[in-house]
Amino acid sequence: MATTITIDPVTRIEGHLKLEVTADYVGGRQQVVDARAAGTLFRGFETILSGRDPFDAPDITARICGVCPTPHNQAAVAAIDAAMGIEVPDNARLLRNLVLAADFLHSHILHFYQLAVLDFIEPPGMAPWQPGWTEDIRIDPATSATLVEHYVAALDARRKAHEMGAVFGGRLPHTAAFIGSGFSGMPSAARIQQFRAYAAEVVAFVRDVYLPDVDAIAATYQDYFQIGAGPRNLLAFGCFEEGPTGADKLLRRGRRAAGSTAIAAVDIQKITEDVASSWYTGNNGVSPRSGTTTPAYPKTNAYSWLKSPRYETKVYEVGPLARMTVNGDYAGGVSVMDRHLARAAEAMKIGLALEGWLDQLDPSGPLFADGSMPESASGIGLTEAPRGALGHWLAVGNRTISRYQIVTPTCWNASPRDARGVRGALEQALVGTPVRNAGQPVEVLRVVHSFDPCLSCAVHVMRPGAATPVSVLSGGGWTSRSAARAYR
Amino acid sequence: MNTTRRDFLRYCGMSAATLGLTATDLFTLSEALANPNGPAVLWLQGSGCTGCSVSLLNRVAAQAPATAGDLLINSINLVYHPNLMTASGVSAVEAINAAYARGGYVLAVEGGVPTAFGGAAGWAMTEASGHELTIAEAVKKYGARAAAIVCMGTCASWGGIPASGSNPTGIRGVGAFLGRPTINVGGCPPHPDWMVWPIVQLILNRPIAKDSFGRPTAIFRTKVHERCPLKERDEAKYWGQPLSCLKSLGCRGPEAVAPCPTQRWNNGVNFCAEAGAPCLNCTSAAFPGRDAFHKFPG
Repeated sequence: MATTITIDPVTRIEGHLKLEVTADYVGGRQQVVDARAAGTLFRGFETILSGRDPFDAPDITARICGVCPTPHNQAAVAAIDAAMGIEVPDNARLLRNLVLAADFLHSHILHFYQLAVLDFIEPPGMAPWQPGWTEDIRIDPATSATLVEHYVAALDARRKAHEMGAVFGGRLPHTAAFIGSGFSGMPSAARIQQFRAYAAEVVAFVRDVYLPDVDAIAATYQDYFQIGAGPRNLLAFGCFEEGPTGADKLLRRGRRAAGSTAIAAVDIQKITEDVASSWYTGNNGVSPRSGTTTPAYPKTNAYSWLKSPRYETKVYEVGPLARMTVNGDYAGGVSVMDRHLARAAEAMKIGLALEGWLDQLDPSGPLFADGSMPESASGIGLTEAPRGALGHWLAVGNRTISRYQIVTPTCWNASPRDARGVRGALEQALVGTPVRNAGQPVEVLRVVHSFDPCLSCAVHVMRPGAATPVSVLSGGGWTSRSAARAYR
Repeated sequence: MNTTRRDFLRYCGMSAATLGLTATDLFTLSEALANPNGPAVLWLQGSGCTGCSVSLLNRVAAQAPATAGDLLINSINLVYHPNLMTASGVSAVEAINAAYARGGYVLAVEGGVPTAFGGAAGWAMTEASGHELTIAEAVKKYGARAAAIVCMGTCASWGGIPASGSNPTGIRGVGAFLGRPTINVGGCPPHPDWMVWPIVQLILNRPIAKDSFGRPTAIFRTKVHERCPLKERDEAKYWGQPLSCLKSLGCRGPEAVAPCPTQRWNNGVNFCAEAGAPCLNCTSAAFPGRDAFHKFPG
């Protein structure tokens, strides 16, 4: 007998998400047999930007997401730089890296402690941590208490990561210092020293607290190396520019198809979006370069405010696991726990890169490139948000924005079914997830939280679909992996 | 493990910072906080970006509540907050409805109210009946029994960026939508202290004086430019010119009402203009406006 479970709101994520999953017994075990994920908020940023000054795009698009605004700043300035046909001075590139890195570190720490860890431990006995679910808590009370202490320590650590970003960015969230053709914050010797001191503190937290805690959760919940795989196609645009041309990045661009170990090149022309299940008019298989965002609600067979981005018509997962795998820094599998380990290891990798960027800053060097915005131009800005690949497509006409399209990481990960009826990455990852207690489907939350969804871009779901093929979870056989091992 | 607030405080190794409040205030506050059914705060998210919540977590102050941890653990009974609460789905909806049944809570709203498509541009939650509550319905419902409504940020206060341009999703500020006065904490995002201050005042039962935009005058009093350390300097002739007044680059500090230059952001580290970034006047009811943020001299 199939059970329909609605989780709305899904909490401890960014933005508005509703989940509807169907659970049924397969091989004597209750598990998810179908899932629909829907972001439940549409704001229409592409429309809001139309007609504005192109240089407004970084500050406007940052407000897509207050948890990871800086990647939008970065994508927008990259699109502007490309439209202007300029390369920014090294100072600007490095300062953008440093403030973006600060936002990544805040976000990864926030994600593990404030958003994800409560799925695994006994939370404190008061609001907002109670009421909570009691299903499948395997962490012992003493370790739970330690993790709760670290929850509080993490509030301070992520705050300090933001303070670190504000050293050059002015403030976080929503720095105003990312400006097309440059960066406004000055890298004085005193400011460099101030950033360095913060970096030491934040990196120490990642190394001494975050990495061991992720390993402790992973050691206790090893079955989650076998849960929540999804499409197993991984895609990264890459980020943190190591040179002026964009060819050299701390985390490289690339993709890995399911079943392959080869890292293939990314051809931006092969990215298209479907709107078959989305409340928008328009054709399927359209490049963001020529895409539109025209809402159409209600619309037959649509259930989401998210579009469905695809690469060569295939569903790809984006995020820290994709980045670290593509970069050769993570050699595990694709699962709930692999996502947590890769995210933590990435925090450490980024933390260790800060010193090198600080060393290269020139306090007396330029911050802006010469140049101006042509009457008509277009530019693409590709980067990474903590949650995955982010792209901005800018077109300028009459010196104002004539078209702006944004493809967010959570569009890749939480997209609805595409024109071929294929589920999005999160929907696929949920199918096969065990559900011991339909009243407390904590396993479903663990899968959702592993993606670190950020829905402020747009979304909605529901209306159970027709019967779909069931993939049965394979049992047993995990490998022992450690996030901390590589850094100690 | 079923820890009390006091146990939790102990093993978190935290101490209540008490500067700036009188003994009477502290007594009132501790009395109020000693009651777990006491000053409940419900935090709804509308058409926003969660930036106000993230800014709130950046709280560091000499006055209690001192940090975000202190705030969550010792200072407010945060019954509903979509980013921070453990419970999801039905359990979360039950938690907010239990507070709703009692009434008298502080309703904090982050993000504006989408009214287009019959409210379908934004849903808040699915009720036990299966009814999908739109953000507009949720603001109406939970606003009705609130002792006070605090709009956290420019979007909840007046619409903000999602309401700009053609306002594609019909965003309205909470006060305008409900036709009732609200406390409007401007800022995109607001400084954490600006958000904590009205909640503490409400718990202490103190009156809050407001300007014509509903902003607390204790916070929103002076123009950014008046206190800006760069105002005596020459106006910048180009972008990236060290330590210059940014008016020539589009700085809206002369119009903006906010204490940024003196209060500073992120634990006093910096503020926009000191990082060479023109003030965008994000605390204004008219933010972001249609005009370009930046000017390029020459």
